[in-house]
Amino acid sequence: MPFRQTDPWPSDTRSAGGWLRDHRRVGGESFYFVSARLGTSLLVWLVVGIALALPAGLWIIQVNMAEVSAGWEGRPGLSVYFDLDATQAEIDDTAAMVGQQGSITQVEVTTQDEALAEFKVYSGLGDSLSLLGENPLPASMRALLTPGVVTAELDRLAAQIGKREGVAEVVVEKTWLERLNDLSAVVRRLGLMLGVLFGIGAILVTASSVRLAIEARLEELRVLKLVGATSGQIRRPFLYFGALYGFGGGVIAAMLIALTLLILEPPLTSLLGSYQRELNLSGFDPLFLLWLLAAGSLLGVIGSMVAVRQRLSRLEVL
Amino acid sequence: MGHVEFKRVTRRFDNGHEALKEVSTEFPEGSMTFLTGHSGAGKSTFLKLLLAADSPTRGSILVNGVDLKGISKRGLARYRRNLGVVFQDHHLLAQRTVYDNVAIPLRVIGMREKDVERRVRAALTGVELIGKEGLYPRHLSTGEQQRVGIARAVVNRPKILLADEPTGNLDPELSRHIMYRFARFNQMGTTVIVASHDVGLIEEMGSRTLCLEQGRIVAEIPARQEGNQAEEHPVAV
Ligand SMILES: Nc1ncnc2c1ncn2[C@@H]1O[C@H](COP(=O)(O)OP(=O)(O)OP(=O)(O)O)[C@@H](O)[C@H]1O
Ligand SMILES: [Mg+2]
Repeated sequence: MPFRQTDPWPSDTRSAGGWLRDHRRVGGESFYFVSARLGTSLLVWLVVGIALALPAGLWIIQVNMAEVSAGWEGRPGLSVYFDLDATQAEIDDTAAMVGQQGSITQVEVTTQDEALAEFKVYSGLGDSLSLLGENPLPASMRALLTPGVVTAELDRLAAQIGKREGVAEVVVEKTWLERLNDLSAVVRRLGLMLGVLFGIGAILVTASSVRLAIEARLEELRVLKLVGATSGQIRRPFLYFGALYGFGGGVIAAMLIALTLLILEPPLTSLLGSYQRELNLSGFDPLFLLWLLAAGSLLGVIGSMVAVRQRLSRLEVL
Repeated sequence: MGHVEFKRVTRRFDNGHEALKEVSTEFPEGSMTFLTGHSGAGKSTFLKLLLAADSPTRGSILVNGVDLKGISKRGLARYRRNLGVVFQDHHLLAQRTVYDNVAIPLRVIGMREKDVERRVRAALTGVELIGKEGLYPRHLSTGEQQRVGIARAVVNRPKILLADEPTGNLDPELSRHIMYRFARFNQMGTTVIVASHDVGLIEEMGSRTLCLEQGRIVAEIPARQEGNQAEEHPVAV
């Protein structure tokens, strides 16, 4: 097969060392460019920082909410109150039926007499209650749920029990922690939404800043292209640029989140303290910071790629 | 190293105007050629095509037998690293010093700073600008700016040197000086193509000359066969 030459001068004059030197030079230049226009750069950092801080902060809050509820011992359960005239058989049947459910770990029946005895002790009214003649307290039953049972299952069981003979009322106990669980799902989705929206925002902000930087250097880029710079070389400073903007945004975001956590700590301590829980905020660790900075840089690079595509794809040398 | 061939090259613009019509010619390796003709004859268009800043509507341009049309983006960048280009309005970067302007082609190929310095100094010495490295283009006279442009064009020892009206607004003495400088590069093996209006100077140089008129080559004056023009030039370099 004849060799078809596609290059007037096939031997490349560029070396791997040259490639590295070029990266180093461009990196230095971009750094200089960013620091020379500190006012603009700070503004971009702040905007990107805020855009990152909101979703990232929500993520931290969500992680902590999930952790608090996961660590909680008291699991929600069911309380069943029987009619005053319910027979012992009806009570026993219901207790047996509930006890057989896979979702229930423990059933505890309180008879009318026991309820009265307990009440006497707690209320301190003592024997004066016997003046009532008839016992006004119903028999009741408390069932504890197996961990991990979903709320829907609990509701189904409650409805089933409520239809039984002798049952007056079924109360499903949703603890505040369970509500916290629901809330944390809301927060997680909100964080995701905000993450996407603000991420796009951060990309657009860096894209427009990078576009300005490209405009300012258009003449230089034409000359570079003229003397044989590759597209990669022409793009490179702007990708560095976007990365620096994004990275700076990540740093600002970390600072904002740290500040917010600092401000939130006293009220959170007293809130959680009232439930006998010690405050142990998690999530704000080196790995999180790494992710934050990486996410910032990535958004910045994407932003600059958008700008480069828009502005440089059709760059002509003359 | 730097053989160029135009094969029935036509450049037709969107408005229907044909700046070049079926132009066929050859530039042997190591030759020096002037392109001349009235304003609008197609000289700049010709050079732009060779620079691959524009492409022919029909026909092909071969450099060392390779069609510029078939070159990849990467190959195009490589191709341009072997070209030196001088414009009338020199395209210097205002925010860079003379030194940095001249160094651009060398930094693009990733040359070591030590070698860059040696080459830049040599190029600036060649155009008699040594001592002005630290100045910015706005500090220089028009002729000096033009010479910085020339230094930048030759600093990487191009295989082909293209110049579009390099002496357009220079005084006659400086124009000659610059033309003779091109002739010297040519003697070192570079293929040189210069577009110019300056008929008198072209005559004096005695190199091969192509006359363009309305996009066609209407005359070709071969090189005068006598000694080395550059050495007869009165300006000491
Ligand atoms: N993009 C374009 N669209 C339409 N016509 C064009 C375009 N570029 C150049 N032309 C026309 O092509 C013709 C040749 O232009 P060119 O610049 O090559 O002339 P030239 O010989 O360099 O002239 P000058 O000596 O004035 O520099 C001119 O008539 C010009 O108007
Ligand atoms: Mg012209």
